[in-house]
Amino acid sequence: MWGNLFMSMLTPDFVASIIRITSPILFATLSAVIIEKAGMSNIGIEGTMMISALTGSLIAYYASSWVVGLVAATVMGVVVSLVMGYFSFNLKTDMTLTGIAVNLIGSGGTLFLCKVITGITEGTSMSSTTSLITTKLQVPTIEIPLIDAIPVLGDIVSGLSVLTYLAFLCVPLTWVLLYRTPLGLNLRSIGENPDAASSVGVSAIKMRYIAICLSGLMAGLGGAFMSMSYSMGWSLDMVAGRGFIALAAQAMGGGEPLGSMFAALVFGFAQALGIKFSAVGVDSNLASPIPYIVTIIGLVVFAIRAKRKESKRRLAVGSK
Amino acid sequence: MNKKGRIKFAILRGVMALFVALVVTTILIFISIDAGGRDRVAATIDALQTLLIRPFVSASGKIATKNITDILAAMIPTIFTALASCIMFSANQFNLGTEGGIMLGAFTAAMCAIYLQLPAGVHLVVCLSMAALSVALMMVIPAVLKAKWGVSEMVCSLMLNYVIMYLIKYFMNTSLADKSKGQLQSLTFLGTSKVPELISNGSKLTWGFVAAIVMVAAVALFMYRTRWGYAIRMIGINQDFAKYSGIKVAVVVVLCQVIGGLLAGLGGGFEMLGRYDYYSMLDLPGYGWTGITIAVIAAKNPIGVPFAAFLMAYLTKGCSLMATYSGVPSQLISIIQPVVFLFFAADQFLSHYRQRLVVKAAEEELAEKGKAAVAAAAAQEGSVK
Repeated sequence: MWGNLFMSMLTPDFVASIIRITSPILFATLSAVIIEKAGMSNIGIEGTMMISALTGSLIAYYASSWVVGLVAATVMGVVVSLVMGYFSFNLKTDMTLTGIAVNLIGSGGTLFLCKVITGITEGTSMSSTTSLITTKLQVPTIEIPLIDAIPVLGDIVSGLSVLTYLAFLCVPLTWVLLYRTPLGLNLRSIGENPDAASSVGVSAIKMRYIAICLSGLMAGLGGAFMSMSYSMGWSLDMVAGRGFIALAAQAMGGGEPLGSMFAALVFGFAQALGIKFSAVGVDSNLASPIPYIVTIIGLVVFAIRAKRKESKRRLAVGSK
Repeated sequence: MNKKGRIKFAILRGVMALFVALVVTTILIFISIDAGGRDRVAATIDALQTLLIRPFVSASGKIATKNITDILAAMIPTIFTALASCIMFSANQFNLGTEGGIMLGAFTAAMCAIYLQLPAGVHLVVCLSMAALSVALMMVIPAVLKAKWGVSEMVCSLMLNYVIMYLIKYFMNTSLADKSKGQLQSLTFLGTSKVPELISNGSKLTWGFVAAIVMVAAVALFMYRTRWGYAIRMIGINQDFAKYSGIKVAVVVVLCQVIGGLLAGLGGGFEMLGRYDYYSMLDLPGYGWTGITIAVIAAKNPIGVPFAAFLMAYLTKGCSLMATYSGVPSQLISIIQPVVFLFFAADQFLSHYRQRLVVKAAEEELAEKGKAAVAAAAAQEGSVK
């Protein structure tokens, strides 16, 4: 069994599956990176992804076009974020609580909407959009012309979903946005010291709205990936904690786009491994918690490292 | 504003929050009802009536005793999780593990109820204590990681919820299932472990309800009349200040989450042994999130918890009645709940109105003082003359 497992991990398919599984986590992680840079924490990413996943799948069905569905999912992510922003910034609701509320809507609320809009009920209480969706309404995969012909590399990086390429493309884009544009500078300044930023004429509330909208945009793309590429259509609780794992990935990556991408890949690996475990006969209920346990371990390792660095820095300052 | 004014404003704010939720609910019902034209309006009104009145008054106009006991019974687990959230949130520890805690507590209690053989009475106490202890142990993980290394207790507890759910599923699928049954369930609990019922009408309103109310009083005393409760609240208000005034922050951070775990575990135990004859809970039950909503509505005050829990249980019952009689999916509650929650949590909701009230109160006070001053001056003048 272990030999089988090990052999199946050396195949290009396995590496490709890590990349595929990482994509939604990566979108969510970038969402967390952007908002944390602006000094806030968005635990509503999970719920935003759920709402966007449902929107994307439904709109794609009604408009019979995946492009329209994808755009709708993204717009929905931004709309949810605007509502969160209104409650958090204007009505001064604790942002954690706003996030919890969005997650509540993302769980049972999406099921309600799905039932009401489609009229589909499965069994006594379940519902999903799977029966409405055909492969045509899914986000397509692309074969990259030249790379496709290279033996191993072609199998890994070619033939993935459009959204997967977009996810990895968003990593440098986010970096450029944060570190090479005036907007990014303002966002970071709000995160570092809102008073100082305000004193030089940066509107804190405007920047916060921009940050949460960008965060919602990423979460929307992540949600779209879940229902329009990862699986066929929307089903209840399909995001399964990826929005929370993203928060851990953001922390482990030190809040930087590139580092967080590697952290997201670690979680993608853990999840792919879990799937492989169940493929070789380990009970899936025993394999499924692996990514969540890895998340906790990852958080602890990161926190210990951060604490050591901090105490070293303090020592260095003290000895001067 | 004086205390009376503050209470008046708090009530008004609550009523307004509920009103907004009602408007949203009405719109959603209107959309989801399967009828056209004028029928649709009538059906919406009908459904609203079902939601708001039916839990209390049955269709024939009598008081619906069964519904009321159903509501009271449904409050049992959520009161426990809400108390747990009250304590943890008071210290600014956003531990969201009550959801997994309820499930683990229910599972532990169930296992003790099946595999331990003890005399009646003792057995139940042992089951419940084990349930509470198991969840307290689970909460030690995020608590210690937070206190020692500053690991986010929120993410950690959320991850633990999933881990617990899958592990319980694993055990249920393999060694603990009752293979003679078609459905995935455990063996039947021993009779000695049942929580006795208060009223036996099928609502499963057990002594767990009394225990929950006793816990409300106990937690209120703990939070407002003991040193530890004070320390917990102090850390929530200003952690640095608490630290410099000699409170051992790390100890309190762990303590509040362990107590939260004890309460959540107890709730899970009462729910499982009071309501069911065998274990079959395979998904996170949602009581944790409802508990958080209740804690927010009660403004983290334990005394407010039973009232807020009643409100949520009432609305949930209304929604399920509406699903039966009007065909509106019962998950409507998952939208009503966060809407109520958001408006209760919104600090600045109706803040303009509060501002006006404060200004008015201050003006009145000034005017009174002015009058008093004039009167005093007049009196003085009179005495001089």
